[in-house]
Amino acid sequence: MNRLKIAVTKGRLLEDSLDLFEQMGFDCSEVRADTRKLILPISNYPMDVVLSKAADVLTYVSHGVCDLGIVGKDTIMEHGGSFYEMLDLGFGKCRFALAVPDGSDFYGTYQNRVVASKYPNVTKAYFAEKGMDVSVIKIEGSVELAPLVGLSNGIVDIVQTGTTLKENGLTPIETVAPVSARLIVNTASMKLHQAEIFDLMDRIEAVIK
Amino acid sequence: MNKTIGTPEGTKDRLFSECGAFRRVEQSVLKVFRCQGYCEMTTPNVEYYDLISAAGHPMAQESMLKIIDRTGKILVMRPDCTVAMGRVAATKLTGLPLPLRLYYNQMVYRSDDVNTGARSEIDQCGVELIGSSGIRADLEVISLAIASLDACGLRDYHIEIGHAGYFDALLDALHLNDSFREQLKELVEAKAFTAFASCLKPFAGEPAAEALLQLPRLFGGPEVLETALCPNESAAEVLAYLKNLYQVLKDAGLSSRVQFDLGLIHTIEYYTGMVFRGYSEGAASNVLSGGRYDKLIGKFGQDVPATGFALDVEAVASCLPQPEHLPPETVVWYDLQSLGPAMEIVKTYPEGTAMLSCAESAEDAQKEAIGLGASRLVLVCNGEKREVSL
Repeated sequence: MNRLKIAVTKGRLLEDSLDLFEQMGFDCSEVRADTRKLILPISNYPMDVVLSKAADVLTYVSHGVCDLGIVGKDTIMEHGGSFYEMLDLGFGKCRFALAVPDGSDFYGTYQNRVVASKYPNVTKAYFAEKGMDVSVIKIEGSVELAPLVGLSNGIVDIVQTGTTLKENGLTPIETVAPVSARLIVNTASMKLHQAEIFDLMDRIEAVIK
Repeated sequence: MNKTIGTPEGTKDRLFSECGAFRRVEQSVLKVFRCQGYCEMTTPNVEYYDLISAAGHPMAQESMLKIIDRTGKILVMRPDCTVAMGRVAATKLTGLPLPLRLYYNQMVYRSDDVNTGARSEIDQCGVELIGSSGIRADLEVISLAIASLDACGLRDYHIEIGHAGYFDALLDALHLNDSFREQLKELVEAKAFTAFASCLKPFAGEPAAEALLQLPRLFGGPEVLETALCPNESAAEVLAYLKNLYQVLKDAGLSSRVQFDLGLIHTIEYYTGMVFRGYSEGAASNVLSGGRYDKLIGKFGQDVPATGFALDVEAVASCLPQPEHLPPETVVWYDLQSLGPAMEIVKTYPEGTAMLSCAESAEDAQKEAIGLGASRLVLVCNGEKREVSL
């Protein structure tokens, strides 16, 4: 059997992914061992785990250097790419929301709205769908800051519990899209290593259902 | 460093062995096309934007390289060869008996996001078989695709066949609106199992919906044609057609090269029937892509069916071992009375293994030959040839 390579997003998603793999009976001890290595084997299944940043998961899978990837829908929506987005893994759940300063009326004006976001493509697509012109400004750090200092009228960001928003005087007023972790597959790998990939997917599905 | 000395984003120079491997693929494929009676055409590197957009090509406007011409019209660098071939067939070849067999060897251009490693120039070799709607035309282009990849020396590859009609038949049975159809199409193309299943929940129990639910997994060997459900007449017709196609390919000894993917729905709107892609070990996406497009040429005023494919030369070349770049074996130095004989002598060695020396003296020529790694120096003085081993 061909050894599969799976790129997994570091951080929360990696923890959840490893929990999933362990439920499937995979030995993740080498991945969990605190080393600086970035490519780590699953010892009892023909698969290597490649640790990478979210957007890079898409890049590695699109270019076919990793057969599969685990990445949030938020990253897929923002960056796109050509791959199969096969399974919703059900963890890493949160949502994209439009949040505005408490008590402000985002839509109640004809004036041009300014929206700050770490996800300018998602934000643009959302308002384009509504047929609404907004100015989108990309922010790299804490987006909550933008409306507080007067840069924007609202933000589009990932919301998990809403605590950070609340503490900064912001209220989520709309859900832009739900988000969760996805299993993505390189299009050529899917066709060339169908048996291996379906075996893995069947094992995943057996656990997440 | 001067920023404009490099090559533009998404382009590259091909040197020596890389160029050799590239040309070898190109020449092998073109020979297969010619041997099967196809005739070459070239078209301009630019087309009217309106023409491409009328053809239903799905490439986003921002992904095309655009130019405003001297009359103010919008031109695009050729984003697709088939549209150009279809335009020619509809406007210039109307008097010829059908079917037409055309081939091309030209580039398509893309302007995608920067810093992704995506190519802006993609060299394609492809064929169009115009004016025949029967199974023989589909068989001809599929076997031509297999013959082309074989001729390149590719080993581990297969052609995957789908059909635009199967998916359409299932959707028709559910009477969906256009935007929902489009959404389902994208999900199947992305093989997004989970999202696809939840979209179909409202239709649970309907036979067509059951068949659709299977779709993302319906790829692999010919057994998928048996597994596929046929809830209505048109779906059954498509499956029967594909089975028939497979039987003929099998009888021709090509079954090991053929697989099926009923979820292969080219988002390119102009495909109407059988569609296919080629996958090879070593390439991150398909190396070849094609299918039947019976409505495209009609958009240019001539309603004729057509089928064809394009092969990505660079992608195929990258799957093959690169030939080593060898130094010349023989260097030929001549005195200024002996240019003619020297040129003749170079020609007597196998192609690419001998060259003239530009050195001013025989001694310098010897140094030059040693520096190049040659094994032989030939001196031509007063028309007389003398060999020096190095």
